[in-house]
Amino acid sequence: MVKRSLQRLEHVLLDEGKTIMLHMYLPIAGNSVNIFLILGLGVFVGLLSGVFGVGGGFLMTPLLMMFGIPPTVAAASDSNQIVGASTSGTLAHMRLGNVDVPMGVMLLIGGVAGGTVGVQIIKLLKAMGNADFLIAITYVIMLGGVGGYMFWESLQGLKTVKDPAEVTAVPVKEKTTQGKSFLQRLPFQYKFEKSGCEISMLLPLGFGVLVGILAAIMGVGGGFIMVPVMVYLLRMPMHVVVGTSLFQILFTCVNVTVMQAWSNHTVDFVLAVLLLLGSTIGAQMGTAVSKRLNADQLKIMLASLVLLVCVKMMAGLLLTPTIMVALKGGH
Amino acid sequence: MKVKTMNQVRYSCIFVIMIFLAGMTASSAPAETVDLDLARKTVKISTFYNGTTVRATGRLPAQADLLLEVSGPKKSVYLKVKGKVAGILWMNKTDVELENTPAVYMLYAPEGTLKNNLVRAETGVGYKALQDEVTLHPDSADKPFVFGEYIKLMEASGVYGFHEGSVRYGPVNEGRKEYTVTLDIPPKMTAGSYTVTALAVQGGKVLDQVQVPLAIELSGFPRFIADLAFNHSLLFGIMAVFIAVATGLIIGMIFKGGGGAH
Repeated sequence: MVKRSLQRLEHVLLDEGKTIMLHMYLPIAGNSVNIFLILGLGVFVGLLSGVFGVGGGFLMTPLLMMFGIPPTVAAASDSNQIVGASTSGTLAHMRLGNVDVPMGVMLLIGGVAGGTVGVQIIKLLKAMGNADFLIAITYVIMLGGVGGYMFWESLQGLKTVKDPAEVTAVPVKEKTTQGKSFLQRLPFQYKFEKSGCEISMLLPLGFGVLVGILAAIMGVGGGFIMVPVMVYLLRMPMHVVVGTSLFQILFTCVNVTVMQAWSNHTVDFVLAVLLLLGSTIGAQMGTAVSKRLNADQLKIMLASLVLLVCVKMMAGLLLTPTIMVALKGGH
Repeated sequence: MKVKTMNQVRYSCIFVIMIFLAGMTASSAPAETVDLDLARKTVKISTFYNGTTVRATGRLPAQADLLLEVSGPKKSVYLKVKGKVAGILWMNKTDVELENTPAVYMLYAPEGTLKNNLVRAETGVGYKALQDEVTLHPDSADKPFVFGEYIKLMEASGVYGFHEGSVRYGPVNEGRKEYTVTLDIPPKMTAGSYTVTALAVQGGKVLDQVQVPLAIELSGFPRFIADLAFNHSLLFGIMAVFIAVATGLIIGMIFKGGGGAH
């Protein structure tokens, strides 16, 4: 009995070449995948999620498509796995006191409202026939702009740390004072304790709307736009930014998962669980790594990643494609 | 009495001739036919399924060659044709529809098929014949170009293919030879009904052809998940979220003690 079970397991684990090739069939994606490959992808993206507070959707979806998963299934299943990864990440950051819940709620409300507006904008652009062009251009400009600015800014930060004499030369105080006077004029002032700032609630709400619109147009969760918004415009400490961003992403992805499964039947639960196992472990590892790096190191790494995706997209737009048609709904 | 005997002899001769002619017809007809047998007519997709193979065997006239087609199910395919925007950027530009296009098309042929020009338009097999069956909307679009690029796309995903040298012949016996083809069933061939067609071709003409259905079915866990996702979609979505949250919490708790950094 035991011998037969072992033989059966061996048959499943080993292919003719005697290498481990455990595959699993994905009934919604309509394809099979190597379990270890998907677990590895999950760990990699989960690590990014834990370190930078981004959902990783802008990386995971294209990677899954490269491995033969249909674009719509890749995007929806990725949302499902982000729910697990961001639950794990949010929990870890909550223990470290890195989640500003009121700030996260305001950004979330704004994000949901902005997302709804963004979907209507996409409908309008599609009717006009130039949606694809505007989506791609928005992607390149946003990624290039955000990534370039973060890279330059954190490079300046790293240089400043190296030379203590330059620290005093940076007119930080003046900038802060100017910002405060503008913010204090806005109504609904609220003290966001974890973020260490007293600003109008309209500000995170407004930024949330803006990010929601952009996220809907670009078809991503918006973490990589939200993080720079919190760092540069809301002036929140980097570690609180990461935790709060994960908190906001968690709820956004819960909504997306249920809607995609209900309306489009595109959530592949088996794929999501495989990605989840990898990404939840990766997120924990990422949180541990993020504590060991300083804010500028974190920012410069995220900036490099964003710029890399931007360069890949630019290459895709400029180089002649090998196949001149694409299935509708894909990229 | 003599007349009766003569009639008996005459009828006996006619009967013998008829038997002989019938025998002649019976022995010559199978020599022109092709037969096809699949090792299994149903492929079950289970949890660890990663595609499979199905062995096709049969006999055909010794002088003929075998072409074996796997195709189906036919559907409309919606494509975006790429083009340049602003003179420099490659984008998905025009919308086109390919009507009556098989989701899967694979052609298995013996060695030297291309050299000997076995796949001709009059045989009704191959990509050219497929292109003739497909309707392109709008009809102003360049059909050979669009369909050619679509074939490239499908070949890249493994559901279209031309496998030259995949037909193996056995010994000739009574004017007929045996053949064996190992059909590749990639994991991207989803659950559905497919048709396997064996054609005996000679000099660009089809001597005979035979079709056998091949079914691919979901079973066990994949079947359960697909049923839940398509027939109880809201419940499926909520369940997916709960399991994701639970997994995140459990792993979060596991790491609480041994996370190292916190």
